[in-house]
Amino acid sequence: MTYVGQALPMPDAVQRVVGTVPFVLDRHVPGMVHGKAVRSTQPHARLRGVDVERARRAPGVLAVVTGQDLVAADGIDPFFGVQRPDQPALAIDKVRYAGEPVAVVVAETMAQATAAAELVAVDYEPLDHVVDPVEAMQPGAPVIHDAWPDNECGTYALHRGDVAQGFAEADRIYEATYISPPASHVPMEPFVCVATWLHDGRLELWTATQAPHFVRPELARMFGLAPRDVRVRTANLGGGYGAKGHVKIEPMVACVAKVVGRPVRMALARDEVFLTVAKHGAHVRVKTGVTSDGTITARELELVYNAGAYAITSPAGAGQGLTRAPGPYRIPNISVTSTCRYTNTVPACPFRGAMTSQVCFAYEAQLDEIAMDLGIDGVEIRRRNLLRDGDTYATGEVMHDLHYDELLDAAAAAVDWDRPLAPAPEGMSRGRGLALMIKSTLTPSRSEARVELHADGSVTLFHSSIEMGQGADGTMMQLLADALGVPPDAIDLPFPDTDTTPFDTTTSSSRATSSMGAATHDAAANLKQELARLAAKHWETTPDRVGVDDGRVTFEGDALSYAELLTAVDIDHVTATGVFQSEGGMKGLDPLNVQGKVSVHWHQGAAAVEVLVDRDTGHVHIPHCHGAAYAGRVVNPLRVKQQNEGGAIFGLGPTLFEELVYSGGQLTNPNLSDYMIPSIVDVPERLSSTAVEGDDPHAEMHGVGEMCLPAVAPAVASAIARATGVQLRRVPMTAERVLRALEGVDDEQDR
Amino acid sequence: MDIGDDQVVFELNRRQRRLRVSGDETLLATLRETFGLTSVRGTCGIGICGTCTVMVDGKVVSSCLMLTRQAAGRAVITAEGLVEQGRLDEVQEAFVDCGAYQCSFCIPAMTLTVRACLDERPDATVEDVREYLAGNLCRCGTYPQILDAAARLVRQEPDADDGASVRRVGPDTDGGDSGLDVAAG
Repeated sequence: MTYVGQALPMPDAVQRVVGTVPFVLDRHVPGMVHGKAVRSTQPHARLRGVDVERARRAPGVLAVVTGQDLVAADGIDPFFGVQRPDQPALAIDKVRYAGEPVAVVVAETMAQATAAAELVAVDYEPLDHVVDPVEAMQPGAPVIHDAWPDNECGTYALHRGDVAQGFAEADRIYEATYISPPASHVPMEPFVCVATWLHDGRLELWTATQAPHFVRPELARMFGLAPRDVRVRTANLGGGYGAKGHVKIEPMVACVAKVVGRPVRMALARDEVFLTVAKHGAHVRVKTGVTSDGTITARELELVYNAGAYAITSPAGAGQGLTRAPGPYRIPNISVTSTCRYTNTVPACPFRGAMTSQVCFAYEAQLDEIAMDLGIDGVEIRRRNLLRDGDTYATGEVMHDLHYDELLDAAAAAVDWDRPLAPAPEGMSRGRGLALMIKSTLTPSRSEARVELHADGSVTLFHSSIEMGQGADGTMMQLLADALGVPPDAIDLPFPDTDTTPFDTTTSSSRATSSMGAATHDAAANLKQELARLAAKHWETTPDRVGVDDGRVTFEGDALSYAELLTAVDIDHVTATGVFQSEGGMKGLDPLNVQGKVSVHWHQGAAAVEVLVDRDTGHVHIPHCHGAAYAGRVVNPLRVKQQNEGGAIFGLGPTLFEELVYSGGQLTNPNLSDYMIPSIVDVPERLSSTAVEGDDPHAEMHGVGEMCLPAVAPAVASAIARATGVQLRRVPMTAERVLRALEGVDDEQDR
Repeated sequence: MDIGDDQVVFELNRRQRRLRVSGDETLLATLRETFGLTSVRGTCGIGICGTCTVMVDGKVVSSCLMLTRQAAGRAVITAEGLVEQGRLDEVQEAFVDCGAYQCSFCIPAMTLTVRACLDERPDATVEDVREYLAGNLCRCGTYPQILDAAARLVRQEPDADDGASVRRVGPDTDGGDSGLDVAAG
């Protein structure tokens, strides 16, 4: 029986549907009290004082904790940030965005804490603010962090070939700027964390996180503890999409719990989730030179990302954007610069398709503009320029395991690219578009797995990849079932807990299937070696003469199940560990000319759409959307389909209507009424996907969490352009923007 | 029925319940905090997202917008309550069979909305179910599998060629598309 390749249900499918699968939101700790943040009303201001007296006297209130309390407390470094520790757990001396936590009111009940939070009075001295990253780069712009006077938060560049020469060889040169605004991840489960200081001085956190092994060392550093003295416990995660990576509300909750001396729970309200993290907005200028047959001779890109008020992952993220910006094309002369800039907006962090959607929108929308201008078919111009095995990418890497031809074929075929379009209804225009994307994965990174085989034949797989709906647990279960020859239902997978489950860098970057999958395989192989050793002892032979397969050990016609073997040798359980470690990455490379192996492998995806544009209202309707991803080897086809098609649906939001709107430095739409995400009525009538597998049955597995998302926006933009002749260079392509474009109003200058 | 200043009696998952509750407590808070019914989940706070959906006298309501006192004398059903004598409701079974779950935060609420649709419209179509679900948001994008489950429930099996294809490219295979039974497992 082979389980890899089958659409098995998740191990806890019934609990997921009934509602009994545990979330951190359900977690209660004895003695627990509740915290509610008081948030800055100013986008940028000096803190002259925080008057907490009225709140402190309110019913049920135990304490009101401010940034100054953290400064005064022994044993707390109140600043955190894995890449740049610039973020205070609570604002100290200054606030840098409207919505930043200034104080936390702690009370016996959440209702009491929420009511008392209204009573905290904050005295601000307003400062000039900036919300646009390009404005934040200009001389004289407000300085958000004194240590970074030009608001710099990550800067990278790369250059290959001779761009000036390449443009000189071009028949045509195209140049435009493509704009993506900040957006919000909107995991349905809010940020929630319970922090308990144990009597022995250890810190225990229950937290809704994608990254327990980032949270542990960072919290340990803040409190001067050994990492082992911080325990990070998790449960099923109610959506992450990047929002819950790295370190988010844990420092605030742990600091408050330390000051108050009680276990503190904070479960954020929806507006606070909007005010915690966002997607990087970006301005991407692309200049491309082509010969008259559409061959790219040179490309120059200038990326400016909006980091928001604090660094989080922006210092490295600028580099990720850099290496993903050229597009999956053979470009002999290329120059890219990429920078993240602080602004007085919600801090940005990776957002499903991280740093990639913004650049993919730019390079793919422009390639289609070029194709239309030159009268070349959209598939054909891509085929003429595609990156193929043996080609050198902009990073200097010689590429292999590339599958863009298959992805392009699949995307084009799915929307009947070569057939005439059906006529559009009265007042509507119909068009098709497609796009490709390339994305690096987190490199280097490490995953460890530990397998325990028990004397009753059951197996426990300890691993720290977070199950957040993508199917990490079920994937590992299927891989392990095959590797050990045991039925999937013999395998238990406890939730990640840094005291008991081994190290995994993080659950992000579409890396769990490939990296934790490899660690699981390694652990299974090591377990089988150990079983061979035990069986050899039992049969008084040597391990090399023992077979270990299909859940049994065999020797010269004798066979024992694993359980029988353990019983025979009187051992309660056998344990083995496995490791995956990738090498390479940006570290050690010249940040101002990134050349080297930046990614252990490259994620490859595509999207194709058919659109109907209502010429009277500007409304864009999408009757068909297809996503295609390179998967290497599919472990569970239903999970892959859900990642590909769910990712495409997710991508429709920022493409058509999702945007965080600021006015006067205030986020105006931090709620699900004014900030809409795709609902079931937004799903295209036809939604389909293709998972391309490798040539080799043992091809390396690739994660597919983000592959179909980034290409959705440029595919829609080019479909609109083909349908109507108007080119949109800003997402979301709302009905209003499309209508203005149809009416010839320049939308670029409207804000 | 309201029996005194702060006591409320109502039926919860077919059992009579009596409790003392303040006038401003939401049904969401009572169900989660007093009764430990974790399938009911608050997330938007304004009745938009649908994850706190419960059935009250057979109609779906957002429990974040209803006060517990308003449930007095009425019958409340949560997703846990769709399970009777250890048996899943047909809606829950269809969701499990069709893989209609990812992170699953929103899913129990979805099953209640589908149940209400089928109860109110015995001849419901997939389109009816879709319309009912317009107020239940899922950020993972599990909607296709939810519609598959709806199709099964209204006896319109999902279109067989509307699914994903897995394509193996290489000398050891025919290189062609193979259909995927999305309801497998």
